[in-house]
Amino acid sequence: MKRLQLQRWSSSVLSAQARTGGRLQHRLYNGIRHQSTASPAAPTANDQLIEEEPLAPSIHPPNSRQSKYQLPSPPVEAARESAKLAALHARLYLPSRLPLETLARSLVDASADPNPKFNNESLATLGHDLLTHYTSEYLICTYPRLPLTVIFAAMYAYVGPKTLAAMAREWGVESAAAPGGEVDPGYLQFKRIPPGADLKPVTGTARPHEDQAHWRKSITSSVVYDNEFGDPVKGPKNPSEQSKQDAQNIKGVTAEQANATFVRAVMGAIYLHAGRPAAKRFFEQHFLSRHLNISDLFNFSQPARDLSRLCARENFEQPVARIISETGRKSRHPVFVVGIYSGQDKLGEGAGASLLEARSRAAVAALKGWYLYSPLNVRVPSSMEEEGAAPWKPVHVDLGEVIV
Amino acid sequence: MANCLTAPRRPLLALPFLLPSPYECVALGLRRNQSSYRRTKQRLRVKPDASFGSSLSHPQEDHIIYNPPSSAPSVYHTPAKFLPSDDIRRNLRAASVNGNNAESLPPAVRATTEKKYHLNPSDIREIRRLRATDPMTWSRLKLAKRFDCSPTFIALVCEASPQKKEIQKRVLEAVQSRWGSKRRMAREDRQLRKEAWGRDQ
Repeated sequence: MKRLQLQRWSSSVLSAQARTGGRLQHRLYNGIRHQSTASPAAPTANDQLIEEEPLAPSIHPPNSRQSKYQLPSPPVEAARESAKLAALHARLYLPSRLPLETLARSLVDASADPNPKFNNESLATLGHDLLTHYTSEYLICTYPRLPLTVIFAAMYAYVGPKTLAAMAREWGVESAAAPGGEVDPGYLQFKRIPPGADLKPVTGTARPHEDQAHWRKSITSSVVYDNEFGDPVKGPKNPSEQSKQDAQNIKGVTAEQANATFVRAVMGAIYLHAGRPAAKRFFEQHFLSRHLNISDLFNFSQPARDLSRLCARENFEQPVARIISETGRKSRHPVFVVGIYSGQDKLGEGAGASLLEARSRAAVAALKGWYLYSPLNVRVPSSMEEEGAAPWKPVHVDLGEVIV
Repeated sequence: MANCLTAPRRPLLALPFLLPSPYECVALGLRRNQSSYRRTKQRLRVKPDASFGSSLSHPQEDHIIYNPPSSAPSVYHTPAKFLPSDDIRRNLRAASVNGNNAESLPPAVRATTEKKYHLNPSDIREIRRLRATDPMTWSRLKLAKRFDCSPTFIALVCEASPQKKEIQKRVLEAVQSRWGSKRRMAREDRQLRKEAWGRDQ
């Protein structure tokens, strides 16, 4: 109830630029956006708030010292007084159009303040969509032949929760011991999950026959039912079940989840306040600049067979393993260098202590050479959003991975 | 002991390199003798190689020598055969390695066998019948020898009966029960190493 007063009061204090709530009032019920085009249902929490409003006319305006302790998260005007927040803003080289108030809001997790107008959930939803969109288009346009499992792994490595939590740590964001109105808004505020609580696997997904744990889950079905990283995700829910989920949310989140949500919220806030080019630049400077060796993400169980199937599919000559050089065949430590040839062309080369090992490694190298093909002058679809972009040329679309 | 006594008696003039000379003081940092210069020049004298570039025919032209140390080729360097037909690198590489096609290929690891495709459906029915009636006698290897095909083809065509699989499993367990810890660990390590090949480690 007090929060209502604060909200009315803060809307008069905040500049029109700083108030993001108006544009972000559609609180999404899920972190993911499904393929349906139906807009998310309007939150019922807002209706309740409006109904409760006339019941609280006698609350004091929350500028007194005492009322700060009753707020779930720091008041909006505290953002201008926080040195930590200003330092974080400067350290990240955030655009000046992004006000400190929004940065403070992105530091408040939904478990600390359940009010969608004061927590970062809506910003994080937008930021998550932007991050996964930019990352996936970069990966698919740069390496058009990557298998789906490798794309999932690379997505997780670029914008997965573990990476985002590590980034928040690198940015020097500290978390408050407990959320509250009196806390410095420069701290990340979230309610911690009690120690020893078991993190249950996700249930209630949209996948049919979810209870059959031993059934085989195809990678292709992950595109439909799972999230961007190929992990199971909760299915769409109706608003009546939303309150249950909120009750669960109050139990607390892990530090990793809260940190990841904060980084996503910063991305969403930059997009809203500074626009698309600034958001894209922020993404390139902070996310895409992290080095990821994609060739390390592969794991082949039968490389020679896969390569043979690939050559048959692409109408190449059948691959033949040939010994390029060898040393110490009858010694304790022989080294063989084997190349895989298709006709006159060498496809891959590998060295090993036995002919079998060298041949297998050469087949792995040849398969990686196929999958890691990257066209010249890669352009992503979102580059067309810039002013004066050159006309779009279609990117290379591959047949897909080898299926044996 | 004798050294200790004689050392202070040695005149300072006998060691001229200890004396600071007016000329050397200036160029102390830049000092360079004949031998090091010759060595430097010697290192730069590399035997010309075909991999240095195509300018061997025009040695008077300025060109870049590309002579990387021998190492495994990078997987990010897509083989010319794997490039799509609309990629310009395909034509560039075809032009650069045009003369190398004549040289012979290295020897194959295993002699390649031409597939014969000589078995007809009646043969396959016979294989299935033999395997089903007497699985102990007609193993994959024996069937392959009899029908002149590979054991893999036998496995593609038919499957052993569950009883035979059970017997084989028990035989394997009996063999493995005789292994000591050393042999067991060595076998496990070998399996782990094999899995690491696929991860390129």
